[in-house]
Amino acid sequence: MIMTHPGLPVYWQVLIGVFMLLVSAWAIFAKAPEKTSHVGWPLERMPLVGLLIRFLNASPWPLLFAKIIMVAIFITVIYSGLQGTPIPERNLATVLTWNLWWAGLVVAIFFLGSAWCAICPWDALATWLVRMRLWGRGKLNNSLNIKVPKWLRNVWPALLMFMVLTWFELGVGVTLDPYATAVLSLLMVVMATVSLALFEDKAFCHYFCPVGRTVGYYSQLAPVALRPLDPNICAACTTLECYHGSETVEPCPTHLVMGTLKENTFCTSCGNCVQSCPDQNVSWHLRPQSVEVKQDARPNWDDAWFMLGLLTLTSFHGITMLPFWYDGISQFGGWIGDSGQLLLSFSLGMLFVMLAPIALYAALVYLAQRWTGNTVRYRQAFSVLAFASLPLAFSYHIAHNLNHLVRESHDLWLLFTNPSGEGMLPLSMMEKHERHLQMIISQDTLFLLQGGLMLFGFWLAIQVIRYRAFALYSETKLWVLPIVLFAILIHGFDLWLMAQPMTMRM
Amino acid sequence: MRSKFLIMLLMCLTTVSAFAHHVLGRPAYSLSDDSNTPPSMQVETQIGDFFVTYMAFPAFPQPGQQGRVNLYATHREDGKPFDGQVTFVIKDDKWFGGHKETLGTQKIDDGVYRQGFLIDKAGEYIISARFISGGEPYTIDFPLKIGQVSGIGPIGIALIVIIFVLVMVNVIQRKRLLRGKIQAAHKDSAA
Repeated sequence: MIMTHPGLPVYWQVLIGVFMLLVSAWAIFAKAPEKTSHVGWPLERMPLVGLLIRFLNASPWPLLFAKIIMVAIFITVIYSGLQGTPIPERNLATVLTWNLWWAGLVVAIFFLGSAWCAICPWDALATWLVRMRLWGRGKLNNSLNIKVPKWLRNVWPALLMFMVLTWFELGVGVTLDPYATAVLSLLMVVMATVSLALFEDKAFCHYFCPVGRTVGYYSQLAPVALRPLDPNICAACTTLECYHGSETVEPCPTHLVMGTLKENTFCTSCGNCVQSCPDQNVSWHLRPQSVEVKQDARPNWDDAWFMLGLLTLTSFHGITMLPFWYDGISQFGGWIGDSGQLLLSFSLGMLFVMLAPIALYAALVYLAQRWTGNTVRYRQAFSVLAFASLPLAFSYHIAHNLNHLVRESHDLWLLFTNPSGEGMLPLSMMEKHERHLQMIISQDTLFLLQGGLMLFGFWLAIQVIRYRAFALYSETKLWVLPIVLFAILIHGFDLWLMAQPMTMRM
Repeated sequence: MRSKFLIMLLMCLTTVSAFAHHVLGRPAYSLSDDSNTPPSMQVETQIGDFFVTYMAFPAFPQPGQQGRVNLYATHREDGKPFDGQVTFVIKDDKWFGGHKETLGTQKIDDGVYRQGFLIDKAGEYIISARFISGGEPYTIDFPLKIGQVSGIGPIGIALIVIIFVLVMVNVIQRKRLLRGKIQAAHKDSAA
């Protein structure tokens, strides 16, 4: 028997649907938006939260302490996965990794941007092993410091890794296998360590890590960012400690210069710039969530593909958790003579779900190009308009993950006291029902959050389309129609997914 | 499931498609609400013309404990059970070699093929169910863990890789530094 979560109620579907149509109509007929400049508000100058930010900025120890805790939890996960019970819902490795961390990470980005990368245990372990110290500038002796080959200096490797991770997660079923979860976690540490030992700076975080890049792109929509307190100080700076590091502090792991920093994508929130700046001119800022994705982030071909990949893979997650997916794959497997776990059928299904929306997007961008008389290059339009996919993916991703977080994260305390699940039996149907009913928040509150996120995501996507497309085609409004249509179709499909009963993960 | 994850990764990377009748389904553990039996491990899979359900009791047998596997195979088209003979073979779950033994050949009994087993040594095993239908051979593999098995393998491999890389990098860097010093000394003496 398969346990399912109820989908978004009809009244929310209608409300969101009507909102989408009204906002789309407004986007077509409203006058062109004007570019705005947002410096943001320094958090350290705000009451209460300012105290916390000043404490975090004052020394590297709070961050180091957080890293040590994360590594301790990570080692517990590895131990539980390798030595503990194979029952997924009774093992800390599977529950913590897939139900709490993987689901909660996206929610955390909504509030804290790329803060996760600062305490990432993969990177912490790799850095400690290669640099041979817990904090500060390590010996260069332990790394070959090779420049990453030019053909790898993009996010294609991260996109490929993200696809592979999704394949393992949903196709092979790593989420239900504590041992495989632990092996996958170890593999990430090995890759991060080898990359750090071979390449200069943090090439793994910059180009290869699927989680880091996902966090990075979504962080464009975060309300917080590390920025200069006084841009004039950066403008007059000639030593660039934020970029080169200082005697005691490592350089920026992803080659960012604070004075020109306009987007969060590659910022790992490591705080090196905060610690190394001799003028203490770098700190956390509060800012409007849309400013970066609307106008500040620079469009690139590989970035566009990653954002579209995020969009399609988040929807794909939702599709595989619908009961009909299994029947469809089984039927398809029968047609093509697939056997066993039907991995070939799954892979083809995944490829189709990924490529179909991208093909639709490509066709609609082409249409917009034709209507505007090809005033800009197709590749440029494709890259620029892809920013619209980010809020669509982000809002659906959080709304979907809230289901896992709220409905499947019970008994965590029990798991921490018995991480290996010693002597535990699988959840019985009765226990699953109980867990299903004992939600962290009420069901109506969950629907309110999910509905609100879907509204917010679409509103933001339309804003992005208007700003980005007006920057591209300033003379005409016809361009807007195909891309708005794309947003409606994708978000409408995601809304439909949200309305379906969703299979419980474990 | 121990080394299966790695094996599966390797197989997927090295094969174009999987037409062989050799399958590994995804196990699920279930506890019957209305009986006192211990939890069973179950794999549901699809192979050729059949839907196959494979079940082991208990889910985590101990060395020397009597266990049983049940196999249900139904035609995908009409849902009729497969009526023939199924041979059950047990082997060590190892990359190369390993002991292999036939447990028995069973006929259908009330729609189910049942095979008992008793294993004295803790470890990772695979029970294979083999049958022939319409001239086609079918093999269904089922992972079985007996007792507590050490999970040190992946940690050991990870440590070996990391230590090897770090040592190599260190050696290369030391040579580089030494070469730099020698070149600098040559330049100084030439000047």
